[in-house]
Amino acid sequence: MSYRPCGVYHQFYRQDHAWWQTKFVWGKMIFLGIFIFVLFPKFAGMYLISVANVVGYTILSAMGVQLLIGYCGQITLGHAAFLAMGAYTCTLLMLQLHIPYPIAMIFGGVVGGIWSVLFGLPSARVKGFYLIMTTMAAQFLTVEFFITQYVSQIGGRGVAFSIPPGTVKIGPWMIRNDLDVYYLMAILVVIFTFIMANLGRSKIGRAWIAIRDNDIAAETMGVNIVYYKLLAFFVAGFFGGIAGAFWVTSLAAVSPEHFHFGWSLWLVGVILIGGVGNIHGVIFGSLFMTLIPEGLKFFIFILTQNPFFVNIMPFLPLLLEKFLFVKEAAFGLAIVLFLIYEPNGLSYRWWQIKNYFNLWPFSY
Amino acid sequence: MAVTNEVQLKVENIHMAFGGVQALLGVSFEVKKGEIFSIIGPNGAGKTVLLNCINGLYTPQKGKVSFEGEDISRLKPYQRAQWGISRTFQKLELFRGATVLDNIRLGRHIHMKSGLLSCSLYFGKTAREEIEHRDFIEREIIDLLEIEHIRHKVVGMLPYGLQKRVELARALALNPKVILLDEPLAGLNLEEVEDMARFILDINEEERWQTTCVLVEHDMGVVMDISHRVMALNFGEKIAEGTPPEVQKNPNVIKAYLGEAEDLYVTRR
Repeated sequence: MSYRPCGVYHQFYRQDHAWWQTKFVWGKMIFLGIFIFVLFPKFAGMYLISVANVVGYTILSAMGVQLLIGYCGQITLGHAAFLAMGAYTCTLLMLQLHIPYPIAMIFGGVVGGIWSVLFGLPSARVKGFYLIMTTMAAQFLTVEFFITQYVSQIGGRGVAFSIPPGTVKIGPWMIRNDLDVYYLMAILVVIFTFIMANLGRSKIGRAWIAIRDNDIAAETMGVNIVYYKLLAFFVAGFFGGIAGAFWVTSLAAVSPEHFHFGWSLWLVGVILIGGVGNIHGVIFGSLFMTLIPEGLKFFIFILTQNPFFVNIMPFLPLLLEKFLFVKEAAFGLAIVLFLIYEPNGLSYRWWQIKNYFNLWPFSY
Repeated sequence: MAVTNEVQLKVENIHMAFGGVQALLGVSFEVKKGEIFSIIGPNGAGKTVLLNCINGLYTPQKGKVSFEGEDISRLKPYQRAQWGISRTFQKLELFRGATVLDNIRLGRHIHMKSGLLSCSLYFGKTAREEIEHRDFIEREIIDLLEIEHIRHKVVGMLPYGLQKRVELARALALNPKVILLDEPLAGLNLEEVEDMARFILDINEEERWQTTCVLVEHDMGVVMDISHRVMALNFGEKIAEGTPPEVQKNPNVIKAYLGEAEDLYVTRR
């Protein structure tokens, strides 16, 4: 529920069903679009672009996790498996069969979806902790066993599939550098958000939310819960597959260690911090989880440059060297702090700020 | 609506046991189209279990449920909902995180036709369908149940009486032929009880709805006032069935509620 600013009246249901209900919001969204597609790539340096790509990839990957956990209430800890299926399907189709990238990407999505349904089948019978175990099984069976042992052997290329430059192109548009990847990412993020928001406000999304909140009541209201759970797994796997196929563009070589178990956990952390059951949650969570470690790295780097600080804290150069551990520690700390102090995530805070300004100067 | 002679819901010889506990022992009854049929009985008599069996949440070990002449004993709950059986719950089973409007919209689920692709684009057909159903909900249900002022509120934050009303609204949104009401009056104050009783009469009698109601309730005053027929259960067995005055006078019912005269004497000593 959100409040509209004073003085906004609707005469038709169409207006009440619209996403952006006032001219101000329209203006804001148009500015956001211009910022993403024109201003940011024009003025940001290569470093910022590459960080933005990681943010975008996290958004794309976490969207499926948000759908499963936040919308349908089916906890998944194996989402990297579906990313991997998408990435490998896409790469294999491109390298072995020379299928154009967009078609290979869609195939990657479909294979990711079907793979996800396969591991979602137990959800018809089990809930909660037991479902976590089956989705973890998806992670280990797919990435550690199926892909490492069998899929990687296809074509005799060794463990990693290297992608020759110029393989990835959409029509005449060849994706060569980070800037191209950025544009592709921005388009995909907009499409994903659009689809997700539309699903959330129509029949299917409501059925998912009903299953999340109360599956018995949902069933007596005529929702075929097994079908809708599997549909949620399919759509989440499809999103995952497309995200994996997208990430192929910025990788020089596809290998199993890009899709490790830590990444699955990371995605769950993203939506916990951003806010469960909310599209804003995915975006805020991804921004937070990518920018905080980058900022931390920058901070430590600045400190290391100054001999004074290094004298006080002689472990600083080591921290920079082993930054991965700092990142993991920051991840754990962030999740703990969020669960204690802001269990509804960043999106809830955003909602409160927005309502404060919509209602201003009154508090009700 | 006048009560017809057409049998709409027929329950034959239902046996239901949980482990060693016999919850229902061969209960049979018929509900005629257009009537308010009440099921009464002391706590633990098996009333809710009976509703769950009709609704498909429990599968009875023995017995048959038929709806409009068709056997529906093998159907899943969501299929029975598609046949036109809707229900409310004794303990509220709402979707607490969603708004009132979204809760009621979920009740329209079986009447919506858009598929995955159409839903994800939300274009043309889906948008039109959403508006049509919104119109139906606003005109027919929200207006009838007088919940205009809370339609955009999150359900979990509403007071109990209103939540009960929202649950009835959600059950009505299915456009059901039979509505199973499991203690719709429990925990309400006098004013809310009167409102709720009036809503039940409305959905039973109004030209637009004419819904058959199966009511499980402990408030004897309301039950005896509004029901056409009453059935009494005790320890899983049917002990009486008939019009309200008949059931009130039935010695078995008096015994079930008040105990034997000697017992009464003993316990009051």
